[in-house]
Amino acid sequence: MLEIKNLHASINGKEILKGVNLSVHAGEVHAIMGPNGAGKSTLSAVLTGNPAYEVTSGEVWFKGKNLLEMPPEQRAREGIFLSFQYPVEIPGVSMVNFMRAAVNEKRAYEGKEPLSATEFLKYMREKKSIVELDNKLTNRSVNEGFSGGEKKRNEIFQMAMLQPSLSILDETDSGLDIDSLRIVAEGVNKLKTPQTASIVITHYQRLLDYIVPDFVHVLADGQIVKTGDKTLALELEKHGYEMVVKQ
Amino acid sequence: MSELIEISKGQTKNILLLNKSVDLLVNQYDDSQLNLHVFCLDDSSAEINIQVRQLGRGCSAKINALVLACGKQEVGIHTNVVHEVGDGISEQLLKFVLADESKGNFRGDLKIAKDAQKVSARQTNRNIVLSDKAKMRTMPQLEIYADDVKASHGASTGQLDEQALFYMQQRGLSVGTARKLLLKAFASEVMEQLDVAEHDSIEQLIEQRLARMAI
Repeated sequence: MLEIKNLHASINGKEILKGVNLSVHAGEVHAIMGPNGAGKSTLSAVLTGNPAYEVTSGEVWFKGKNLLEMPPEQRAREGIFLSFQYPVEIPGVSMVNFMRAAVNEKRAYEGKEPLSATEFLKYMREKKSIVELDNKLTNRSVNEGFSGGEKKRNEIFQMAMLQPSLSILDETDSGLDIDSLRIVAEGVNKLKTPQTASIVITHYQRLLDYIVPDFVHVLADGQIVKTGDKTLALELEKHGYEMVVKQ
Repeated sequence: MSELIEISKGQTKNILLLNKSVDLLVNQYDDSQLNLHVFCLDDSSAEINIQVRQLGRGCSAKINALVLACGKQEVGIHTNVVHEVGDGISEQLLKFVLADESKGNFRGDLKIAKDAQKVSARQTNRNIVLSDKAKMRTMPQLEIYADDVKASHGASTGQLDEQALFYMQQRGLSVGTARKLLLKAFASEVMEQLDVAEHDSIEQLIEQRLARMAI
């Protein structure tokens, strides 16, 4: 599904990714762990086309298409979803209008008719239940005044609405209490199918108790320095990143 | 010559100005209310002069303006609010969105006379510039001679929030749709002040205008 080949990327002239290689297939969950400043969030930003970052070399193929040539919205419509580490507050834009625009632009891209207002509201009700999202929140402006936990639930709600094939969860566990963590993780698990894949970026092992990865990669200083199965995350938790970074 | 409008004691006057140049002088007498809305939503350049003089106590004046300019359009708004006597309220909210090579100009004179105590006056000017060639000039001028008053003014000119735009694009919205939603949100604060009767038709004009501007 996703092929990253020797990816280099920089921000403001500073190189952050220094040759990342990664293959993700349908049905897989990949965890990317690593110390602060290793480039974890840069990777998610580059994959989604954040204009702040510059790809200096390398290739990324998504379902056989050259991802790096696509603008951010096309990547999204092709099925890449990012659960933001810091979801953005957009005062004055209601969740309902935002999601209706998102769902219908994706449908148009797929050659489908837009959902009517009634169909859309019904669809939204179904998806809200996946992350136990309060009705009040969807009537408010996007993320405005949401608590940390509500923002992350809202990300997973949007994921449910848009049904991506590849979801990237960037530090989704940061700032979550244990109940929200469980709800968010269960939401992600409910959305998992043999046709979808996930990249879970996290600093801690905690989230991986709930979202169990098939592969764990350690990203350090802009490169993947070690890959293992879920037991690697437990080892890292015990011994810290020094054990791999120093090798 | 300014067109003179007098609002007599206890009366309320609602004025809606759409797509035109005007030169107005409004005199307010005791306990009268002025609700003035200015919209510039087509291609015509305009010069809008609004003078409000509160000559009686307990008056309230609200001035709201929304300018959506593009092409080589030039829109200037000059407000001049004078509180001659005390206990009055004035609230001004003026918003400009400038695309292409358009120019916006706001000058806001606000005067509170020496014996006009307990006046509450607010002037806010917020602008979004969508292109490098569009220009906004803003000049608030406050003259306050009374000592027991509440007066505030704020002016800011910026661009659309890049982070919000990227967030929306990541959900599959085209840049145009994302800009349009953000600009509608920007306009909504002015719309909130508008009477229900006119709300829908103005909103339609805003939609049409933004569809052209937010590409």
